[in-house]
Amino acid sequence: MAIADHGLQTGDTGMASIGALAFGPDDVLFAADYQGARVVALDVADPSTAAATDPLDLTDLDGALAAYLGCERADVALRDLAVHPRTGNVYLSVMRGSGTAGQPVLVRLDRADGSLSDVPLDAVAHATAELADAPAVDDELKDVWLGEGEGREYNGRVIRATRVPARLSAITDLAYVDGAVLVAGLSDEEFASTLRRIPYPFDGRQAASGLEIFHVSHGAWETAAPIRRFVPHSGGILASYTCTPLVHFPMADLAAGGRVTGRTVAELGWGNQPLGMVAFEQDGAEQLLVSHTAYPLMKIACADIDRQEALTEPKEPLGVPRTEEDVLGVSLMAALDDQHVLVVQADDAGVRSLRSLKTASL
Amino acid sequence: MEVGWGERRGDVVLMVRGPAVGLRVYPADALGGDRTPRRQPMAGRWETVDGDAVFVPRFPFLPGTEYAVVTGDDGPAAVLPRIPRPGTGQTSVVAIEPALDVVPRNLLRFAVRFSSPMSEGWAARAIRLERADDGAVVPGAFLGMEPELWDAGRRRLTVLLDPARIKRGLAPHLEAGYPLTEGADVRLVVDAGFRDAEGRGLSAGAAATFRVGPDLRGRVRPETWSVSAPRAGTREPLRIRFDRPLDRALTDRCLRVDELPGAGSADADGRGWAFVPDRPWVTGVVRVAVDPALEDVAGNSVARVFDRDLAGPADDPLGAADVVALTVVVGPRSD
Repeated sequence: MAIADHGLQTGDTGMASIGALAFGPDDVLFAADYQGARVVALDVADPSTAAATDPLDLTDLDGALAAYLGCERADVALRDLAVHPRTGNVYLSVMRGSGTAGQPVLVRLDRADGSLSDVPLDAVAHATAELADAPAVDDELKDVWLGEGEGREYNGRVIRATRVPARLSAITDLAYVDGAVLVAGLSDEEFASTLRRIPYPFDGRQAASGLEIFHVSHGAWETAAPIRRFVPHSGGILASYTCTPLVHFPMADLAAGGRVTGRTVAELGWGNQPLGMVAFEQDGAEQLLVSHTAYPLMKIACADIDRQEALTEPKEPLGVPRTEEDVLGVSLMAALDDQHVLVVQADDAGVRSLRSLKTASL
Repeated sequence: MEVGWGERRGDVVLMVRGPAVGLRVYPADALGGDRTPRRQPMAGRWETVDGDAVFVPRFPFLPGTEYAVVTGDDGPAAVLPRIPRPGTGQTSVVAIEPALDVVPRNLLRFAVRFSSPMSEGWAARAIRLERADDGAVVPGAFLGMEPELWDAGRRRLTVLLDPARIKRGLAPHLEAGYPLTEGADVRLVVDAGFRDAEGRGLSAGAAATFRVGPDLRGRVRPETWSVSAPRAGTREPLRIRFDRPLDRALTDRCLRVDELPGAGSADADGRGWAFVPDRPWVTGVVRVAVDPALEDVAGNSVARVFDRDLAGPADDPLGAADVVALTVVVGPRSD
């Protein structure tokens, strides 16, 4: 299928914000409009023809973005990055934060010459999926929700009904897996976790799962804590949470909707928030990198994840082995090519740059 | 170099006397320091109008930001006067919630309501929790501010206290304790520098002081609420008084009167709710549905407690499929 067959229409996306990014089939880019509570599929029409292979470094990324956008550094909020699967160009979601012209911008960084341009969000081939408060629930999903509990007697009346998943006000991450966009987020009102599955090309359908995990450092089963970051992995997703469990959810369970219980495979440390996750290959074996607010970059062998039994005991064991890399200040990450992982790294003075880490050196 | 501001087709443009040869535009603070060897210039295009160079920016020039024009790679920079910001802000803080004098030690969240839509990216810079006695910032009180939790209109910002420090038995709680200390006074401060969606600061900063009281525990129990039934033939409000202070935004969303048009709203302090029907009440039974997601200010909902005591069966959660309802009997007017 070519991107022309995805049902995209050229025009103004009407996006109010731009956050998490992920490439999907035929180079389509999914972008979260968290303020508008929707996901937009974009044809970024990347002008490069050949894939660049050199590593990419850009010192003072925020300074370069502020210059390009014609604003002060304080007005630049970098939200996410994604690498074009065919050309290797880098796409950055940026909020030009303040002022009457405050607006979402999708910046393209040319891998070959380091120049910046942007995808015009007011004139681009796109399709939109609104995140409904009450998802268009199909019968199967409805059954799952209703089947969860008996009706409850209250004031002499027996009442039962479906629960509508929490409204998302902030989308924390998204990814394309098995024909659908998965969207994780949290609500500004209810402290609750929801993962939505939106089949692509968009056709109005979507399903929501309530997620349950065992939180090792909390020593408790939890349903409220939201996913912070996740990546597709081994027939499902690997999700990281604040304080900091790493959990696998099988795709088959997520596709059905309803309540899904994950397999906690690691506890990466408390008092911490995961900032980035990326998978890459090293000597033929798949590896996972996780960046954090409170800990150095960590590397985990995916084979260990696959054979890890579910953690269900408080505090320990901590699950799969992990290696702390001698790399500090890393936040956002993406796979750049076979040999490099692209990271946003802050120096001691807090100046953030784009760096290419050699996977062989990790 | 002779530079100045102009207007073209309704947009603010930058004008330079003479041809646009080797000219580049930068926000002035991007020129400070020399961290960017490539010196990415501002996006836009040059046009020639009557022999002079006109720069039409890809993204509009921002009031209050300083801009400069540079000739060649290392030529001198001509700095333009700032476009003034459009006056001081009229935007203000309408409320800091919970609107209570005393909050529980295990309080889960604050909310700040503004009079106009706001810019994002300012929460971490412009909101802090400090001790009322000496003004010292309470360290590590908040869960990271990103992503910022705004309502759809970007007027209400929710700020979560770190849940891992509130749940007993968790490592962060054991190591660092509750963010709040019972018996102490704390102050939530919103700086005037918080920018609204127009890029202006607030007309004034705001602050609210709270006495920290005992913990608030257990599920929200609608069966203990007191309900004042309205009389038939009137449009008196149906009033509910809660067993504890509830989250105001969730109260607005989670209480519904079945099959009766009208307007319900939470009291400002979250201790009650009132519903006024569009048409007068008629005699009979009215059902108020309570979404079990409704939470108190400590995050305990109708369905479950936030920090569950596994040894206490009273803390067992309700089933996810349950909806709770109150029934109210509307009687005839006595007069």
